[in-house]
Amino acid sequence: MMPLPHLRHVAPPRLAEALGLLEQGSRGRVDPDGDGAARRGPVLPIAGGTDLVPNLKHRLLDVELLVDLTRLEDLHLRGVREVAGRLHLGALTSLADAAAHPLLRDRHPALAATYSQIGSPQLRNMGTVGGNLCLDTRCSYLNQTAFWRASLGYCLKRRGTTCHVVPGGTRCVAACSSDGATLLTALQAEARVERVGGDRWIPVESLLQNEGRRHLALDAAELITELRLPATPPGQRAAYEKLRPRQAIDFPQLSVAAVADLAPDGACRSLRVVVSALGARPRVVTGLAGLVEGRPLDEAALERVAAAAHRQCHPLTNLAADPAWRRAMVPVLVRRTVRRATGATR
Amino acid sequence: MSDQRQGGPPGPGDGEAAAFSVIGKRNRKVDGRRKVTGQTLFTDDLQPARLLHGKILRSPHAHARIRSIDTTRASALAGVHAVITGRDLPVAYGIIPWTRDEYPLAIDKVLYVGDGVAAVAADDERIAEAALELIEVDYQVLPAVLTVEEALAHPETQVNTFAGKGNVSKQVRLTFGDVEGGLAGAEVLVEDTWFHAGSTHAAIEPHCAMGDLGADGILTVHSSTQVPHYLHRELSRVLELPVDRIRVIQPAVGGGFGGKSEPFDLEFAVAKLSCLTGRPVKILYTREEVFTAHRGRHPMLMTYRVGADRDGRLTAVQARIQIDGGAHSSFGLVTTYYSGQLLGAPYRLPAYEFDSTRVFTNKPSCGPKRGHGSVQPRFAFECALDMLAERVDLDPIELRRRNVLGPDTRTINEFRITSNGFLECLAGVERASGWKEKFRRLPFGRGVGVAGSTYISGTNYPIYPNEMPQSAVQLKVDRSGRVTVFAGVSDIGQGCDSVLAYIVAEELGVALDSIRVVTADTDLTPVDLGAYSSRITFMAGNAAIAACAGVKRQIQEALAERWGVPPGQVRLADGCATAPGVPSHSLPIAEAFQAAEARSGTLGGVGSYNTPKDVHGSYRGGTIGASPAYSFSAHIAEVEVDGETGQVRVRKIWVAHDCGRALNPMLVEGQMEGSAAMGFGEALLEEQAYDERGLHRGPSLLDYPLATTLDTPELESIIVESHDREGPYGAKEAGEGPLHPSIPAIANAIHDAVGVRLTRLPFRPPAVLAALQARYAAGLAWKGHRG
Amino acid sequence: MKERLRFVVNGDPVEVAVEPATTLLECLRQDLHLTGSKQGCDKGDCGACTVLLDGRAVLACLVLARAVDGRQVTTVEGLASAGRLHPLQDAFDSQGAAQCGFCTPGMLMSAFALLEENAQPTLEEVRQALAGNLCRCTGYTKILDAVVTAAGVIQASRPAPPGRSGT
Repeated sequence: MMPLPHLRHVAPPRLAEALGLLEQGSRGRVDPDGDGAARRGPVLPIAGGTDLVPNLKHRLLDVELLVDLTRLEDLHLRGVREVAGRLHLGALTSLADAAAHPLLRDRHPALAATYSQIGSPQLRNMGTVGGNLCLDTRCSYLNQTAFWRASLGYCLKRRGTTCHVVPGGTRCVAACSSDGATLLTALQAEARVERVGGDRWIPVESLLQNEGRRHLALDAAELITELRLPATPPGQRAAYEKLRPRQAIDFPQLSVAAVADLAPDGACRSLRVVVSALGARPRVVTGLAGLVEGRPLDEAALERVAAAAHRQCHPLTNLAADPAWRRAMVPVLVRRTVRRATGATR
Repeated sequence: MSDQRQGGPPGPGDGEAAAFSVIGKRNRKVDGRRKVTGQTLFTDDLQPARLLHGKILRSPHAHARIRSIDTTRASALAGVHAVITGRDLPVAYGIIPWTRDEYPLAIDKVLYVGDGVAAVAADDERIAEAALELIEVDYQVLPAVLTVEEALAHPETQVNTFAGKGNVSKQVRLTFGDVEGGLAGAEVLVEDTWFHAGSTHAAIEPHCAMGDLGADGILTVHSSTQVPHYLHRELSRVLELPVDRIRVIQPAVGGGFGGKSEPFDLEFAVAKLSCLTGRPVKILYTREEVFTAHRGRHPMLMTYRVGADRDGRLTAVQARIQIDGGAHSSFGLVTTYYSGQLLGAPYRLPAYEFDSTRVFTNKPSCGPKRGHGSVQPRFAFECALDMLAERVDLDPIELRRRNVLGPDTRTINEFRITSNGFLECLAGVERASGWKEKFRRLPFGRGVGVAGSTYISGTNYPIYPNEMPQSAVQLKVDRSGRVTVFAGVSDIGQGCDSVLAYIVAEELGVALDSIRVVTADTDLTPVDLGAYSSRITFMAGNAAIAACAGVKRQIQEALAERWGVPPGQVRLADGCATAPGVPSHSLPIAEAFQAAEARSGTLGGVGSYNTPKDVHGSYRGGTIGASPAYSFSAHIAEVEVDGETGQVRVRKIWVAHDCGRALNPMLVEGQMEGSAAMGFGEALLEEQAYDERGLHRGPSLLDYPLATTLDTPELESIIVESHDREGPYGAKEAGEGPLHPSIPAIANAIHDAVGVRLTRLPFRPPAVLAALQARYAAGLAWKGHRG
Repeated sequence: MKERLRFVVNGDPVEVAVEPATTLLECLRQDLHLTGSKQGCDKGDCGACTVLLDGRAVLACLVLARAVDGRQVTTVEGLASAGRLHPLQDAFDSQGAAQCGFCTPGMLMSAFALLEENAQPTLEEVRQALAGNLCRCTGYTKILDAVVTAAGVIQASRPAPPGRSGT
């Protein structure tokens, strides 16, 4: 057994209480029992636990108190709702529920399908859409036991000073491995961030940061409580594709999300392509407007898009699969994903 | 009553026309109900009162001298009951008596990352783990050799100091026939080099052991082992306790595949810690420890030269094999022989030579994994045959047919072959797969491939030389109509407990649910050598038939006397004793037992099995690879290759296997399907790989990918029954043979699909794509017949 | 410091005191002696510890014991009733779906969760539902067949839906 570290656990019924504990934790002292016996140390939120618990067993995080979100009764935290033409997903909605939700399947079938392909059935029952978006970055040199990492000499992200992926590197390049984050970035979704006394909506794209040690632009007092998807124009189609060793359980070795808006005559109004499982955040492929807008997304256009992605994406040795192969797969997967988005699957 | 069966004239159960009551039926397993309800107790499920939990401190270095170990602080931690180091267990052990080259815990130096250094027993696992952090080990890091090339180039950096000198673990070169002449005279010569990167067993149950020294001075060790008898002996040697003071019990084992077939550090540690504390002590490996305990498939680099005439008939085969052994010998002496010795069938080799060298490296030790030592060469050789078929423009199945060895013969290396259903295997998969419509006829990206193989039904000799039986069965026959079967066999999921029950039920006419099976407990059961080399059905099955013979005779004689018929006419079947033709001559089996007990006294039976000794050559090494019978297999795999990504999808594998006779077709299919699936995983997904520090690249079931339901191909089993004259009811092995052809069948199917020959396992997408791109770059069009 | 929690296991209310760092798997196996649920990897990779939490398949090695306070847990020990095997168990037994039996409890729980939701799954749906449960022995063939068989048995044993009178 890999025992969990000593910790305390509270499961408050109201979001306000959970946020209060996170707030205390962010200030370095937490008193969950309200008896004045305050402790020092990190306070971490836990929902499905599918990412956090293995990471705690591997001693990747310090923790004093886990604030269990699964008992929260606040209504906006669960389910899929439509508000002013836009879909809201409660952050505590399980991946399985999101994947099966009729409203999500109807409006954003690609997102529902993406959620249905994460991990395994059990992991989808446990994992939440909020947790999936916040999934910690992953690296071959990081997601290992404490023994293994001690043998390695640790790494930049945890207890060490050396990056084993980029020699001499000072930025952690552990990979964004969240399927949801990649497609949500492409869909230009927003996340609602709540804290004691306030909330804000921020684009998922700016929530995710290019630093594996701090891949979320959140502070310790903040919690993602909802996702909001923009209204879909009638010509918008999205798709998500990933490569992985097995057809279940595994994290992506490379993933691509594409969102295309096509005019009735087939001309492309806009195309967003996002590539992930590279570094700490998904990469939005830039410069596509000039390549495709106003023209049909034919094979020649696809080639231009794929070539642009290939130029911009540089997989690293942070994941087990050969980076040269993953780089070669960027244009392949981009073509396939855009084709699937536009319905031109072959 | 004691009967011993051996090679020779037919005995009970050999009757060809016998209408069986139990044998050959899809009976349930005797332990099935417990397994599906969660009642089965595996070692970690044992939770006696006063149980202590142990943990082992492991080396973070691939190679280092231990200058000192200070356990003072660990011993002082509250809740810690004992701490031991290598000095507490200073006797070297090893599964092969000639290569005892490991210590339970390292003494002077550590040989790989994960080598055990010290062990603690504490109130719970958390305290034990905390105690490990308080043990101070002063290491002097040594240069490590991590590849065969490094190990051979740097003999001064000696990995295992028990080796004579340098890093050669074992070298075997055997020549049969005129190899140079056969190659020189060949009209076609295929030569290439193949590499199997090595894989591990990854049973879902991690290794676990519990030691318990009783107040009576008896040390009981429960362990998830496949070899309780060998463990028993090694515990006695290392702990320096008489064998009769030790009892080894093997609870249910959650999969072995060869990964639990020798002693491991945790078994010695729990024994010693229990002796020191007087309390039961249990250690359960973490998944990471399972990966570093390893003893899995050896990486092998294999060069073959295969000569043939223009008609595809083999003229000579020459192999040169380098074997990466890891830190210890384990079964490596045998592995080195097996890498060459098991290639002698199913094809007739007019001349054959192999030259195999096993080398020590600073990595976890390799050992026997399902298809020990012969899966790698089989991959290489069956690919070579496919190349040969292409060169002489023959259908690869036809090429194989032209070279079959046939039944009742000897191989070039002098192993006796009895029954041989290989041709039926080939025909079976050819027909079922629609081969003729598919081979070279499927569109680009899809293809089929074929491969064959053979395997032993048990190794002919025990690991330590002795003349005693290799399997034994004792029966307690009860006046209630119940029979209890005592046998040392190890059920690791393959179903041998059930097989013994089927045999005894068949022989004595008892209903299956009146049979109790007690196995793998050295206090209660007669010695059996264990679950390795696919030996149990053949050997213990024969012992069971032998054990029944005397009891059956006593019952028949008692009723013959009562009914006035010849004893041979008394039939025991389906819960009744009957004599044909006279309806009143019928008794429930319990009353038949009572009649016999009244006449002859308490009923019981003892039977054993030993192998025939005239089945191999007399040259040095000629006994290794010898078996009383050989199984045969043929597979056809159908694949789909994504030409853009290099991803390979195996759609289906047709698996034909000659198991002699299927004592329970359902269990035989289970072995065939499980074997084929494991081979599939080795072909596409799995690799036991280390980085340049000797660190395992991903010691978890996430990073070492076992195929899921969505990856595993459809599997179709075709059982072939050749009715071996010495097997119980004609049975031979089924547990390992059907793994072998999976890998080359997939490799050959990939060639049929896209025209590339892959020679390095596993066939991951980057390698497949690189091969395809090399082919595109060379401008080679794939087969004209595809248009 | 141990803290008390109450939940329902296989229909029976239980009360147990555990350290907050205890997983549901440790609690089931060590505190409640329900050893049917297995530890294969201890970090969510293999599925051997699959149990039902309020009817849904979860991995007990990743669930904190305290998180199940007040909730319903079903383990393999809860499948058979009154000594009668559940049709899934019976089919696993009769079709050779359990070889070593170590993945079997988790496999059964995933299959049970599937059949509760989808009484007549296709083979492909069974494959999908069991994709988080690794088996090293069987190649899955007999497991998949057993689930399909069990679904048929359950379906056949159910009374015909009411209100379908002849016309």
